[in-house]
Amino acid sequence: MRITSAFPTGVTALLFEAAERRRTYEDSAVTELRSRGFAEAILPILDYFDPYEGLVSDRAREELYRFVDRDGELLALRGDFTPMLARVLAPRVGSLELPLRLFYRGDRVRHQEERPGRLREYYEMGAELLGVPGRDADEEMLELFLRILSIQSGPSLRVVLSFAGALDRLLLQQPADSRAGLLQALSRRDRRVVRQAGATLLQVVEEGRPVSPGDLGDEGALGLASLEELIAKVQAGCDDLEVTFNIDLAEFAQDTLDPELAAASGTPPYYDGPVFKAYVEGQALSAGRGGRYDRLFRRLGADLAAVGFSVSPDRILGGSTS
Amino acid sequence: MMRLALPKGRNLGVTLSALRAAGIGLAGLEENGRRLRGSFEVDALEVLLLKDWDVPLYVEYGVADFGVVGSDVLAERDGDVLVPARLSEGGCRLSLIGPEGSLPAAGSQVRLATKYPGLARRLVASRSWGAEIVKLSGSVELGPLLQLSDVALDIVQTGTTLRENQLVELEVVEDVYPCLIVNRASYQRYRSRINELVRRLEEQELVLL
Repeated sequence: MRITSAFPTGVTALLFEAAERRRTYEDSAVTELRSRGFAEAILPILDYFDPYEGLVSDRAREELYRFVDRDGELLALRGDFTPMLARVLAPRVGSLELPLRLFYRGDRVRHQEERPGRLREYYEMGAELLGVPGRDADEEMLELFLRILSIQSGPSLRVVLSFAGALDRLLLQQPADSRAGLLQALSRRDRRVVRQAGATLLQVVEEGRPVSPGDLGDEGALGLASLEELIAKVQAGCDDLEVTFNIDLAEFAQDTLDPELAAASGTPPYYDGPVFKAYVEGQALSAGRGGRYDRLFRRLGADLAAVGFSVSPDRILGGSTS
Repeated sequence: MMRLALPKGRNLGVTLSALRAAGIGLAGLEENGRRLRGSFEVDALEVLLLKDWDVPLYVEYGVADFGVVGSDVLAERDGDVLVPARLSEGGCRLSLIGPEGSLPAAGSQVRLATKYPGLARRLVASRSWGAEIVKLSGSVELGPLLQLSDVALDIVQTGTTLRENQLVELEVVEDVYPCLIVNRASYQRYRSRINELVRRLEEQELVLL
């Protein structure tokens, strides 16, 4: 066999300074998380394939590395942390001492298309706050998200926010057979297609939200007001950081739908509160994302409030893997 | 300063005209120039001149904040970029071409030459005939002409090349337009500027509505 230093597509090794930078960042992040009462959860890299049907999107399932082991079990390499953690915790909810603050770190592996910056073995860290409903928990986790992103270099951050169900009313007004295409057009800000669906959705594409919040319906208007309050509070608590907040309901068009609409896009409803992602200055891909996902536990038969986030240390640091 | 990726091919002329009509002068940038990169202080833009096929890559990767590329290339590349507008000028067609009467019959198996193997696979999947897809880098018309393939999938603008080579447009598969594309992170950073550009293009009736 010929010996080379090559790795499969989408897999990379970090050596020397790059490895040191990641570990230094990771140590700082872990120190911050522990100081806030978060305990580490160490999750396996190998898991069953079947439990994730209905928990992750069709595409995410397709991207899992799966194989039949010698016992005939269909197994998969870990493709995501949050659904795995939820699956582990859901049956134990009755015996958990809440609130529960957990963090994790490690690789997730997915057979992603060869695209700029998208690795198949991808290192991330994340934190979950479980058992605390309501805005206080959302504030705590969004603020922690910003702190974790700002460790070491304190880069300029742009945080994009939306909330689950933001566009449900407007989308449900559209013909059912046009919704999947419309969702894609919203996500791509394709004005030509969105314009045909009406002025309000066009405003969402252009400005990130409608001119009249009432166009989102009563629940939508409340959601928007709640999001603005959340931003104001977190902004006040992070005035030492360089953060710009953008509300952009179109950015999360496919991630925040009600179950009926989600069926059209193949995305299981995962989030059911505020959602957010962050871009670090100079990086083309988001450095982290998160949100409230009580719905994921309900899907697993457990009543547990949950909000969390994940970050990519390599994208934050702007290293070779970004 | 925002960075704009422009295509060096057939879309450069219409793109420059549209940008200039929308108030982005890019003074001194010539359609047939040899510069690959230039700064335009007045427009607060740095321009990269790239091959069509590379524009989506530069934009998706964030090396360029936004760019213009044909919808054919965009569909083939299938990149994760925003597409807020399509220019109304510079349109052409992605068509199945071949000798007169060579449209594959239901149940037949043919050889199809193209620069767009991804689009060709999607096309064949929706048809009652099958095809072996042969990827070519250029002069795709030669495929059916020299019996390398039975048919070809390629861009048709005026049809002159086809006529000169005794080929015909068997079927128009889709219309193709130059598209304005934007990097997702750049959009969040420069949203008002991008929106203003699109609004000006719309006012000048230079985009498809």
